[in-house]
Amino acid sequence: MRRPAPAFVDRGLWLLALAGVAFALAPSAHAQQQGDAAQVRGLNGTWERYPSVSSGLGSAKNDGPPPPAPIPPPPLKPQFLKSWQAKQAEIQKLTEQGLPPANNYSACIPDGMPAMMQAMFPMEFLETPGQVTVIEEAYNQVRRIYLDQALVPAEDAEPRFWGHSVGHWEGNTLVVGTVGVKDNVLFRNVPHSMKMRIDERIQLVGKDFMRDDVTVTDPEYLTGPWTWTWMYRRWPGYQIQEYVCEDNRYSGNPENGSQRLRLNDQ
Amino acid sequence: MLRAKRLRALVFAAVLGLPWFAGSALAHHSFAPYEPDVQIKLKGKVTHFQWTNPHVYLGMDGPDKNGKMQHWTIECANPGILNRVGWKWNMIKEGDTIEVIVAPLRNGEPGALLKAVRLADGSTYTNGGPAGSAKLSFD
Repeated sequence: MRRPAPAFVDRGLWLLALAGVAFALAPSAHAQQQGDAAQVRGLNGTWERYPSVSSGLGSAKNDGPPPPAPIPPPPLKPQFLKSWQAKQAEIQKLTEQGLPPANNYSACIPDGMPAMMQAMFPMEFLETPGQVTVIEEAYNQVRRIYLDQALVPAEDAEPRFWGHSVGHWEGNTLVVGTVGVKDNVLFRNVPHSMKMRIDERIQLVGKDFMRDDVTVTDPEYLTGPWTWTWMYRRWPGYQIQEYVCEDNRYSGNPENGSQRLRLNDQ
Repeated sequence: MLRAKRLRALVFAAVLGLPWFAGSALAHHSFAPYEPDVQIKLKGKVTHFQWTNPHVYLGMDGPDKNGKMQHWTIECANPGILNRVGWKWNMIKEGDTIEVIVAPLRNGEPGALLKAVRLADGSTYTNGGPAGSAKLSFD
């Protein structure tokens, strides 16, 4: 026969249980911070480029606010504009001939900044205390925006694909500055120096759309700011997929530098 | 004067905008190596099915446009795009008999870009928007 537990054990268990409940209900500093961040901002979640460019890239839903204007040509200084135009024309010509030149994409090298924010595939925003993280499905790209910190001077910034980004909130607008993008990481083949700076203003448009107003400046290559807007549509429930270039069958054809497919199955 | 300036700016944007669009922004690589207009139908057994990034690949035997039997390497979009247009990673297996509509490589090698696939159970799937649509039908 089982003996009843002494009364002090019973009382002790109750006290322990009460302490547990109290502990569970008391918000930790960490949780409070997270709650505040989520409450104010609303960028958390998965997003797709808007308007959708093609089926399979996103949900292909295109009902929403007016789309942003097309990205204008870069205001390159005359001495760079000419060679850039010639290069663009050559790429077009070779592409029409079926010989598109090999490039970073065909070598499985990710976008970097600012091209990553075009959201080729869906994109995820994560707001955590002191940081906003952007994950782009294409090429498993991750970009970390540190909040309320000083931006490293451009001349001291280690060159990287996504550079160095810091941000702060102005109302509900995330204002981000980026420097330190490697000079071989090009958006639309536009050359830039290590003095290039990317400024962004990221904000919600209504509840389910978001815009990123981008301004690129570069005193060495551009005559003035190059600005455009990207828009995104919220995609509730979408789960970002992995993207590892496990078997890239494209390489530069040694004869003419064009993208060439390897045919064997293995 | 202003109108002419605007027109010039528009033409400039249109001419220079095209290669950006065609060249890079939509996928891992350009689809320009494939025939833009020629499409063929193939039916046969799958010898290889590879669910990987940056592209999914299908291997199958089938005749080329001259009727000569070839072993074809067929490029599909990537798993992300295919999942979004309704594919499943295990819906095709080696040994399955399938039909495909493809655009062959322009250089004459037995490689092709998938436009649409029909499985043994009759269900059909596209290869997603960036790869372009089938101009032929299965029936």
